[in-house]
Amino acid sequence: MLLELKGIQKRFGGVTALRNGNLSVDGGEVHLLLGENGAGKSTMMKIVAGMQPADSGDILWKGGRVSFSKPADASAMGIAMVHQESLLAPHLTVAENIYLGREPRLPLGWVNRSRMLADARRLIEEQHFPLDAGWRVEKLSPAGKQLVEICRAIAHGSSLLIFDEPTSSLSMHEAKEVFRIVKTLRERKMGVIYITHRLEELRTVGDRVTILRDGETVHSCRLDEISNERIIQHMVGRELGAMYRREPVPPGEELLRAEGLTRKPAFENITFSVRAGEIVGMAGLIGAGRTELCRALFGLDELDSGAVKLAGKPAVVHSPRDAVEAGIALIPEDRQHTGLATLLPIGYNLTVADIGKVCRMGWFLDPKKEKAVTGEYIRRLRIKCESPKQLAGRLSGGNQQKVVIAKWLVRGASVFLFDEPTRGIDVGAKVEVYEVMDELARGGAAILMVSSELPELLQVADRILVMRQGKLTGELPGRTTQEEIMTLATLQGGGALLGEKE
Amino acid sequence: MIQRLLPFFTLFGLFVILAVASPDHFLTKTNLSSVVRQTAVINLMALGMTLVIVAGGIDLSVGSILAMGGLLGTMVMKENPIWLGVMTGILAGGLCGLANGLLTTQLRINPFIVTLGTLGIFRGVTLIISNGLPVHEIPQAFSYLGEGNLLGVPFVLWVLVACAASVHIVLEHTRLGRYTFSIGSNEAAAFYTGIPVSFHTTAVYAICGALTGLGGMIEASRLMTGQPTAGQGYELQAIAAVVIGGGSLRGGEGSVVGTLIGAFIMGLLANGSDLLGISPYVQQAIIGAVIILAVSFDEFSKRKMTR
Repeated sequence: MLLELKGIQKRFGGVTALRNGNLSVDGGEVHLLLGENGAGKSTMMKIVAGMQPADSGDILWKGGRVSFSKPADASAMGIAMVHQESLLAPHLTVAENIYLGREPRLPLGWVNRSRMLADARRLIEEQHFPLDAGWRVEKLSPAGKQLVEICRAIAHGSSLLIFDEPTSSLSMHEAKEVFRIVKTLRERKMGVIYITHRLEELRTVGDRVTILRDGETVHSCRLDEISNERIIQHMVGRELGAMYRREPVPPGEELLRAEGLTRKPAFENITFSVRAGEIVGMAGLIGAGRTELCRALFGLDELDSGAVKLAGKPAVVHSPRDAVEAGIALIPEDRQHTGLATLLPIGYNLTVADIGKVCRMGWFLDPKKEKAVTGEYIRRLRIKCESPKQLAGRLSGGNQQKVVIAKWLVRGASVFLFDEPTRGIDVGAKVEVYEVMDELARGGAAILMVSSELPELLQVADRILVMRQGKLTGELPGRTTQEEIMTLATLQGGGALLGEKE
Repeated sequence: MIQRLLPFFTLFGLFVILAVASPDHFLTKTNLSSVVRQTAVINLMALGMTLVIVAGGIDLSVGSILAMGGLLGTMVMKENPIWLGVMTGILAGGLCGLANGLLTTQLRINPFIVTLGTLGIFRGVTLIISNGLPVHEIPQAFSYLGEGNLLGVPFVLWVLVACAASVHIVLEHTRLGRYTFSIGSNEAAAFYTGIPVSFHTTAVYAICGALTGLGGMIEASRLMTGQPTAGQGYELQAIAAVVIGGGSLRGGEGSVVGTLIGAFIMGLLANGSDLLGISPYVQQAIIGAVIILAVSFDEFSKRKMTR
């Protein structure tokens, strides 16, 4: 065995992150690590990568006991990690990042730049990566950055590589590229630990699987011995009901109408409408212009041309403030950065979009009203929390998302733009988000739902718009197939790795 | 909880230590009054700074604003009623703060840079107006603001209590305060929520400026001159008070009570060192060490709480 973990425990203050972590990975094997958010996957991998020490338990590396007190210890052994959020130096070049800390030297400690560049070029060529050693890392897409991290691991002679949700920010085409690379690493007899949230991609990459739940290893086996249903059962610890499927309701009046919306080069001539009670899905590859369209509808970016009508009346939206006043709500894809103040209490986050509602004379907060409003919405959306005073950042992903949605409910928005509503949310909690969206629609809201997860679009949306390279390429009924969506979303396949960032 | 209470216990401990070490001098009405008078100016600035820091900003120009307020206020006072002079000082400070807020929000420049610039500009303007000379021959009655007593305690204590209560209410119980926390904690999210971020950020700087202007009047009243060179280095003391009191330079954290305690900890350290005959050189080093200790403890307990 390359790496074995036995009975690893780790506590943070009063919280037990890992109570009994077990894992064994061999060379030439792709080992999937699965579990809901908070199950302890990241903690376990941080311990393996030397970023945090374990409280107790054994780490065996090639059969011998080891202990890591800092990342450099693990990296010296040959363990490397490709991070979910890039830890590269953005202003340096690809070559400089690959050899960071181990630059080839000239006498007197000068860096041998030409050799470094040549080495990096050769390395990249060997892997057939679409990269240039001289590019600056900040210009790369997330996928490109991952390639750089992989190169770095190979250059350092690593024999175990950890991928932490490598495809969560990638388009389908880029994800395929990652799978290909993982396979070549396996052929080189390297061990790969692969953390993912996407069940549908399991079979394409993995050999064996280990499932964590509540800080404990609950199951470990060969991937071909277990069904997806069993995997989910192990992850959530209970039987999931039949697959969620929304029952559409008869749509009401047209609440949102977009006519010929154009903002070059992101999107062009986009026309569609959403009626009260409808959930309209929007599919497309990353970079198709869907997020940009949401941004423009919400007043974050100016339109070049086109008109927006809300409930039949022309709307002028030049800022989020205008949008909010007009009853539009955006549930953005990166909750942590633009959706929530994670270091403030849940209650603050709930009332902030319409604070006048809980004020006397428009200025002075009324604690009674505030308590009533926060209590009401915590109940209505079934937000699992200790109290409204709990910090929003300490909630699970699903509950954080509910807080963002509740904020707009307090405000009384009627048009909701959901951008990747279930990104980074547990399998079990996703359904709860769908249910909230369904309730919104039943209550008369118009919902536009941008998602890169085709299964969820098919489960939730009444009809699905498809975008490709900034243009609307078609509209499909809700009961369509993934293949039909993909046909409209891709024509010549995806784009290049460079500059595809959304 | 301990994290919240530590500054309070530090202040209390310091008080007890000084009371024991120097009972004859420390626990006298004269001495305690002078601690209050000495710290009042920094306290007022720190109150405004609390708002700015909670909003995720910083104001390095408060020392210069203090001088500008004091100078203009005393100049007006020479030929006008005293109250008009005091109002002028507060208004001048408020306008300086408004300028800081507008520059930060409209030019979208980091407030550290903006206020580093205005630190020089406000000081320069003050020196130009005064030609570098202090304002003398101010009405004698003006000294009441900084040196007088009301109901047996220094008048400035009442002023401080009133201002602290107001800022506390603003921060914890009004729309402005809630927005200040939101903006400081996550400005992008605040913007995405439709909060008028620029307006409220600017308001916070203006309030900080006005409080500093009032501080400038108190300083002038204590010295009985309008000094164009007053307040140099005060900005760092004001920031230190906020930080010792649990404020975070990352924004979204801070409280009025914490700031007051922070300012009094520094005041007592200075006073105690004087009483115990510790040289002012050593004093500076001690205060510096306290800042680092306070913040590192704060960070340590936060790190323990979050994964």
